[in-house]
Amino acid sequence: MSSLPLLQNALLVGAILFSLGLVGILARRNLIVMFLAAEMMLQGISVSLVAWSRYHGDWGGQILVIFVLTVAACEAAIALVFVLGAFSRTGRLDAAAWQSLREATLGRVIDRELPASDTLPQKFPTLTPAGVLPETDEDELLQREHV
Amino acid sequence: MLAAIVPLSPGVLLAAAVTASAASLWLLLPRGQSGRRERTARWLGAGLGVAALAAFIITGRRLGGLGEESVFLIVSLVAVVSAAATVVSRSPVYAAIWFALSLAGVAGVLLVLGAQFLGVATIVVYAGAILVMFLFVLMLAQPSGLAPYDRVSNEPLLAAVAGAVLLGLLSLSIGRLSAGDTAVAADVAPAVAVDALQADHVARLGGELFSRHLIAIEAAGVLLLIALIGSIAIVARGEESRVQERRAA
Repeated sequence: MSSLPLLQNALLVGAILFSLGLVGILARRNLIVMFLAAEMMLQGISVSLVAWSRYHGDWGGQILVIFVLTVAACEAAIALVFVLGAFSRTGRLDAAAWQSLREATLGRVIDRELPASDTLPQKFPTLTPAGVLPETDEDELLQREHV
Repeated sequence: MLAAIVPLSPGVLLAAAVTASAASLWLLLPRGQSGRRERTARWLGAGLGVAALAAFIITGRRLGGLGEESVFLIVSLVAVVSAAATVVSRSPVYAAIWFALSLAGVAGVLLVLGAQFLGVATIVVYAGAILVMFLFVLMLAQPSGLAPYDRVSNEPLLAAVAGAVLLGLLSLSIGRLSAGDTAVAADVAPAVAVDALQADHVARLGGELFSRHLIAIEAAGVLLLIALIGSIAIVARGEESRVQERRAA
């Protein structure tokens, strides 16, 4: 692949990752999933930076991605501390549990009654029995019971 | 040849891709429905998502040969599909695992782009450290079964439309990129370009990092230290205040 198409395709992949992360951070209510979405936006940025770095034959983009990784690690550490603190106060990982911090003029999220989710009992795979069932020695079973 | 198969102008195709991806994300996002309707919506959303992805691939081909290099196509598909699954999966544990798969895809994309060190570092730092930390917190904090706040979303329609419109605008501007706009740096580029197959890639990256960007490296080190101390301090103070609350009560 020549360099311009490769650049465009990598930028497209980066854009898709960024948009998906945006949707996740806007729509989801679980704090942890919101952070995963934020990390995904950072991934999209990283892909774009490396693509430009490759296109220009320059190290700048890759160096910047190393710093993005550093900042992401710091952000994850501090964010998880805050999430744990929020969880120990409210007992939920819910972003809407903190809506009392909103301005009074803004609307509240009111949870309506959710329909019951008919979660079926999980089906675990079972191995088909193979081979011949060994003959059990009845005497041995008796002896074992006496031990 | 492809223009004959899909007799649409690029603009129409892009608009269709954006609409399909918005609808697919809206259908896939948790909206607190009952089991059967939810399953139907998910299948419908997955189908629409595949259509949107195909449309984006065709747009990419029009941009310039997405799919010529099959490795790039495969790893980017892995990255994008599992990223979508991360965003829409109900269980946060599954979301974290899908995110790990998405990271593997991103690492593959970085490898194809010739950033070997960053590909490996993504796996080590993200999938190895950050993701495991997320999973720890999830295991600590997750109630049994699906929490109600995992089964509903904040404004799923608006969020899906916003994401899809952003994606459409971005791919429009990516498609407008031409060699003329970006050739500025051709004379600035160093004599030896970044090459995936260079033997001393990591050594050269490290040399660049520790010569031109030495102060930035020091700053990053200080940042990591501050984050470490800060997170411990926040945890400790939180515990202290909780103990005091208990004593007062």
